[in-house]
This record gives sequence, structure tokens and C-alpha cells, in this order.
Amino acid sequence: MADPLRALLALCCLALLTVPASAAPLDRAAFAADLCGDGAAQVRGAEGLVQAAGDLAADDLAFAGGLLGALAERRLACPAEGALLLGRPGAPEGRDALTGATRPAAEARAPVLGLRQRAAVETARGTVALLTGPDPAARVAGLAVLERRIATVPAAVLDRARDAETDAALKGTITGLAHAAALSSPDPARRRAAIAAVAASPSGAAQARLAALKGDPAYSADPAFRAALDAGLAQVSRAVAVGDGLAVFYNGLSFASILFMAAAGLAIIFGLMGVINLAQGEFIMLGAYATYGVQEAFRRLAPGLLDLYLLAAVPVAFAAVALVGIAVEALILRHLYRRPLMSLLATWAVSLFLVNLVRVTVGTQNLQFVMPAYVSGGVPLYADFVMTWNRLFAIGFAAATLVLTLLILRRTPLGLDIRAVTQNRDMAACLGLPTRRVDRLAFGLGSGLAGLAGVALCPIYSVNPGMGSGFIADSFMVVVLGGVGSLIGTLVAALGVGGANVLIEPVSGAVAAKVIVLVGIILFLQRRPEGLFAVRRRR
Amino acid sequence: MTHLTRRGVLGTAALLAAPALIRPAFAADTVKLGCLFSSSGTMANLEGRLNHVVRMAADAINGRGGVNGRQIEVLTSDPASDWPLYAQVGRQMLQQEKVAALFGCWTSVSRKSVLPVVEQNDGLLFYPLHFEGDENSKNVVYVNSPPASSVLPAVDYLMGPDGVGAKRFFMIGSDYVWPRTINKQLKGYWKSKGIPESAWREEYVPFGFSNFQTLVNQVRSFASQPGGQAIVVLTVVGSSIPDFLREFANQGISATDVPILGLDMVEADLEGLDTGKLAGHLNCWAYLQAAKGERNQKFLADWAAYVKAKNVPFSADTVIDPMVSAYDSVHLWALAAAKAGSFAVPEVRKAFAGLSFDDPSGYTLTMTGENNYVSRGVFIGSVNEKRGFDVLWQSPNAPKPVPFSPYG
Repeated sequence: MADPLRALLALCCLALLTVPASAAPLDRAAFAADLCGDGAAQVRGAEGLVQAAGDLAADDLAFAGGLLGALAERRLACPAEGALLLGRPGAPEGRDALTGATRPAAEARAPVLGLRQRAAVETARGTVALLTGPDPAARVAGLAVLERRIATVPAAVLDRARDAETDAALKGTITGLAHAAALSSPDPARRRAAIAAVAASPSGAAQARLAALKGDPAYSADPAFRAALDAGLAQVSRAVAVGDGLAVFYNGLSFASILFMAAAGLAIIFGLMGVINLAQGEFIMLGAYATYGVQEAFRRLAPGLLDLYLLAAVPVAFAAVALVGIAVEALILRHLYRRPLMSLLATWAVSLFLVNLVRVTVGTQNLQFVMPAYVSGGVPLYADFVMTWNRLFAIGFAAATLVLTLLILRRTPLGLDIRAVTQNRDMAACLGLPTRRVDRLAFGLGSGLAGLAGVALCPIYSVNPGMGSGFIADSFMVVVLGGVGSLIGTLVAALGVGGANVLIEPVSGAVAAKVIVLVGIILFLQRRPEGLFAVRRRR
Repeated sequence: MTHLTRRGVLGTAALLAAPALIRPAFAADTVKLGCLFSSSGTMANLEGRLNHVVRMAADAINGRGGVNGRQIEVLTSDPASDWPLYAQVGRQMLQQEKVAALFGCWTSVSRKSVLPVVEQNDGLLFYPLHFEGDENSKNVVYVNSPPASSVLPAVDYLMGPDGVGAKRFFMIGSDYVWPRTINKQLKGYWKSKGIPESAWREEYVPFGFSNFQTLVNQVRSFASQPGGQAIVVLTVVGSSIPDFLREFANQGISATDVPILGLDMVEADLEGLDTGKLAGHLNCWAYLQAAKGERNQKFLADWAAYVKAKNVPFSADTVIDPMVSAYDSVHLWALAAAKAGSFAVPEVRKAFAGLSFDDPSGYTLTMTGENNYVSRGVFIGSVNEKRGFDVLWQSPNAPKPVPFSPYG
């Protein structure tokens, strides 16, 4: 940009700041025409509104907000004359934006937002929400949008929002943001305050904004500025590093909990019976389909409680898949305990059968899940670290499963039997334990755990008939590494494999990470074939 | 006793699990067409639909009296997303069933494995996917677009003033030939535009990869670095697409922060996702379901009616580009066979020159005698709240395909 132009702009901005709010009214017809125009006109209209928003009357802002919302939600129709607000996208008639009269929308064009226009409209909607939002939550949401593109928001908007704000916490946030917006202010003191304000809410973007100031002439000329910038940058880089560390930890933990969920049932089945259950992935898939069934039942019977379906699905998925597991054991596997290779082939056949059964009865498409608020989105915790709810759900779910399974294994008669049979089947039988019954119940427990994994995975992965095949290799890796039959070993191995994957991935890529982890496991098993935690048994 | 039970159970399971590779042919006096689309494995949800579309097109042609006085009979198969099996089934269809043409393959790997088979047997393969180009065989009709007429216009759009003025690029792909070739060409293209090498990053994930947390973190830190607007060029395939999108939205990154250009993203990939948070991300294809025009309305209605009449296990109101391309393929073949007055491959091939077909996208497809590529229009779509794409931009006409990229 040419220097005289910049000076002129700065003058204009100053003039805007000093002149008291003259409240020039919004040219509503022109604004509507802009939003109905081509891409450039839409951007002009939305950006013009943001620039003028500091001085506009509240009803003008509300009018603009209505139009912008309709445009973003595809409820704006553009006939040859004026603009129509529709009740829903594609409605046959709508209300004229200016007169309120109802007119048919049959021949009207419904504009589609391009990316540039979308950004401008989002900013404008955020501005309107910040200035006229009925409650603090709406205004916070508006502010969050503006924060992303703070460089394009005029100071007048933030000043007006701050003056009008009644919520003390929000007022503080707006003040901080207004400070941070003054990074290129001509006043050195304000600039230093802006650096401190930017550094106070650290992120990768803040780091980039501050780092860009190193090229500023003031950096070499003004020692106070340099000191402030260096201190701010150091603070931000420290915070970003901590945030990245947290993210690695969280990613590792959440991946580990998914691995653990997938492998826990397998560890019990493999440890007890020596059966390599290749259908374990399909049991997970069945658990996810059971969850879907529960969701559909809620939708039919209790639509108001729909958000709770994930919790209600926990016992259903466990019981349903445990029953399938018991049926498989009773029909097929019990005949094959003395022939491990055959049992491996049989479970493979079961897995193929289950995939095709689901494929034929339900179809191959990804299932449509309603994502309740507690498993969708996330919350930015510190610097760039975002805690996503679906992964947190998986972590909590895995922890609960671990505790419950340990309780069953350590504190119940069934657990005692399972441990006895695992350690020495023949001796347990001699002592009168019904080993066949224990086998069946343990297989049911292991399958039920796979069903639970299905519930936990619904909010994270796509659910379709083929989803199980992705888990089987990973879970065997974890079970074998952990030491066959040891639940604690499975947990430690899951943490190890998950953490290693997450640590290696950024360095050498996802493909290499998988290979490196696999090679690592092979090398480890060479030295210690019984895995991390071997169950002691008499030979 | 146990022995018998075991064998019985295994046998039954195997029978149920593995459908016969090729549904046998029975009628006489028909001309056979073969489909190579998986209805099991990772590609089942996408490829499975194409079998039905080929049948639908064949039914329509049969309703008009068939081709050269013969009714079309469609043979379907299930290569189970297992790449070598495509070649095996393809050979069986050409040599034993004597099909007049094959319609098939989605991933470039499967096409590459069928390629030698059709060349040895002088068969004809209609390939309905947009792909990486750099290949030209007289035995393959490339019905969809090479990168010069699909990927480059979309990247140009994003780099231009109507898009976001993209300056930096994060490429994420599945680790196989299509993403690697596309990315190689893109890098050459950016080099030719004077964009420095530091402005892009390239990451690959294994097939079926789903744990995208780390990669999304990397995208975010890449985007926050200075140097201009960053975008993601996404070439992962299959179930990795929805998994990536979900993680991206959950971490709070919107299309106005970092837009994704999903090169293999179709309407069917959005099933099961909450697209409210994904609105604005882009794809590019030669057809979008939202295309305007009566021909598209008719196609959508035909498909919905077909799904209902034949009880097809796929959504009646989702139509994706490869479905339309497969439909176009059957019509192109029928037009060529009628023009040649023969079903012999050399005759049919000679008839390609000058063929044209008005397809549901609203454009007219044309073929030249120069190669087996087809001129198609280009759409850039934008994800909307209703799990579909809005048409954001479309080419004024159908660009002439450029098979070999000058940027590779």
C-alpha cells in the first residue's frame, strides 16, 4: 500500500475515534443489495458493516444481523428486487427484508458463500453478536469469532462493546483484546501494553504476531520496546511449548485408551484359553451397532432423552456382544480347544460371517450418530492445546472399564475361577472347578469388553461393517507385548505403544511411526518372549 | 461327531462369507459387460454403489431395445478391496465370460493392477474416477478428469482472489500412488508459480489410518506460522476422510481458518458427520449432486426409483461423481458400439472419435480420436450443513484433458 494512502487511512481512523458517535443510519436497501450481489459486493457489505458497527443504532445492527444470519444459513433469497428472508432453506415464499411483506421466492436466487465471503460474513455476525447479543454467552461467542480476525476489527467496535458490557469477566476479556489490537499503535506505551496483552493469551498465532514485530524499526531503535517484545516472546514460546507437551501427553493417553479398550477383551480370552480370537474386531463393530440400535430406540421412544443414549448403550452393548461371544464359544470354539490353529481359522470365519451379516442386513454406509455435546467439539485449555471431548470420553471410559474389569477379576468368585484356570487349567479342574463353564463366561466377558470398546469408539471413528479389521493387528500387538493374559500388562503396553506412536509421528511421519513401533516390539519380544508381564505358571 | 460339526460350521460360514466371485451368466443372445467394483472391504461403501448404477444404465439401454439388437447383460463381481484380485477377476471376465467391456476400479492401485490384464487380452476398461494422470493406454477409457482439469482449477481457485489467496499448503495423503503423484505435480505447479519450497509440507498416513490428532496439531501450528494463508490438500481415501474431518472440526478449526481441499471427498463421505462445523471445506469433481439442470433432476429421480424398485442397499438420495461417471461409461460404450455396429474392441475403439454424450452434470462429454480421455466440466463444491456440497464454482465449458502433467 502506498504511504500517503496509509497516512490517509490512519487519519480517517483517528477522525472516527475523536468524532463523537454521530450514529449515521445504515442504508438498509444498499446493505441488502450488497449481500445479494456477487462475491465482491458481499465482502464489501459485510466488511462495511464491521467498520461502521461502532456507530450504528441497535435496531440497524439487529436488522443487519438478521440478514447476515439468513445469508449464512442459506435462508436468504435474492429476487430481481430486494431480498427475502425465508423461514427455512428452500422455502417457497419469504418475508421481504425491508418491508416485511410476504412474497413468493420461486424465481429467486439463493446465494452460496465462497470462503472469502464466509469469513467476512462470520466476522460481521460476530460483531453484531458482540454488540447486541441478549446474554453473555452470545456475546462471548461473538467475541470468540472476532478474536480470530482481530486485525480486521476496528477499535471503535471493541470500545463500544466494552463500554456497554455489564458482565465483569467479559468486560475484562474485551479490554484485554482491545489492548492487544493496538500492536501497531503509534503510541510506544500502548504498543508495549499490546505486546503484554498478546503474550497474556499465548498461542502459535500470538507467537507469529510477536515474532513479526522483530523486523519493526522500533525493535532496534527503542530499548524499552525491545525488552518488552523479548520478554513477551519468551513468555509465549514457553507457554506454546508447554501446550504442545500437554497435547502430546493427551494424544498419547487417548490413543492408548483406544488401544487398551480394543485389546482388553482379547487379553482375557487369549490368556485364558489360548484362543486367538480374530473376530475381536468384529465384536467391537457389533458393540458400535448395538449403540446405534439404542440410539434409534431412544429416537423412537424417548426423543427428549436422546443425548443419554451413549450411556444407556453401555449395558446393552456389553450384554449383546457377550451373548454373541457365548454363542460362538458354545457352537464352535469349545470343539476346538485342543487345536489352536483350527480355532484361529474358525474365529476368522466368524469375523467374515459377521461382517457380511451386517453388510447384508444394515448396509455398508457409515452410520449416522447424533453427537451429544459431551462428545463433540473441544475446549482450548492452554496455548494451542485443545482438549477434545470425544477423546476425553474414551479416556474416562477406558479407565472405568479397567477398574471394573480388575474388580471382577480380583474380587469376585468368577474372577478367582478365571485366574485359577488361566494359571493352571488341569490343576483347577482337579480341584473341581467347572473349567468349561469358566471358559464360556470368560469368553463372554472378553467379548462384552469388545462391545464396550464399540461404544467408546462411536464418537471417534466412522462406524461401518469393515471398521473391525483396523483394530485386530493393533490389539494383538498390545496383548503380546503386554504378556499374554495380563490385564495390567495390556494397560502398560497400550500406554507404551500409544505414546511411542504419538512421539514418533511428528518426527518421521505416520507410516514410519507404525513400522518403527512394530520393529521395536519385535526386538523387545526377541529379548523377552513372554512379554512385559508374564503370568507365572507351573509348567 | 465334533469333526462333522466343525466342518459343517466352517463350510457354512465360508459359504456365507465369500459370495461367488462372479455371478454366472445364463441368457443367450446377449452382450456381456463386466463390473470390477468391490462390495466388501474398505472400499465397499463407495464402490458398491457403482455396480448398481451400471445395471441401472444397462436397464435403460435395454428398455430402448439394447445395442445392435442385443440386450446387455451386466456381470458383477466382488474383488473385496484386494488389489491383486481385481486383476484376477478381470482376467476371468475377459477370457471366460468374454465380456465386451469392463467397468471398474476406484483406487489407482486397483487400476494399475488391472492394466496389464486388459492390455494382454486387448480388452476395454472404463475407469470412472478422477485420478493422477500420467498414463495413457489404448485399452483404458479414462472417463473422469486428469489433474489438469480437476485438481489444478481447484487449487487455482483457492490461490486466487475469489478463494482465500492461499500461499501455503499442507498436503496429507494416504500412502500410495494417487496422492504421491498428485502432490508431486502440485509441487511442480507451485514451483512454476514461484512459490518457495518452505511454503508446503507433505505427510502420508497408512491406508485406513484414523488417529489424526497429531496431524491436526501439526496443521494448526503450520497455519499459525507467518507467510500467508494456509490450506490443507487432503488426498487420504476411504474411511480416513470422515475420521480426519471429525478430528479437524473437534479441535475447533473452521473452514475460514484453514480450508481443506478434499480431492477424494464425495457426498457419501459426509454420511454420519455433523457438517455444521465443516461448512465451507472444498472438493472438486466433474459432477456434484447439487448440479443444476433437468438432466440432473432426472438422474437423481431415476436413481431414487431404482433404489426403491430393486431394494438396493444404498442411500436413495446420495449420488456421487463416480456413480455418474460409471453411468456415462455405459452410455459411451453403447454409443460407440452402436456407431461401430460391432462389439469387437478394435472397432469400438475406432468409434470413440467424435462421440459426445449429454450427462447429468449439465455438460456435454466429448471424445477425440487422439486418446481415450474424455472432456468433462469441472465443479468446485463447498460442504454445507446438510451433508452435501453447494456448487461454488463451475467451469464455463469442458476443458480438453491433458493426460500427462507438465509439472510432474
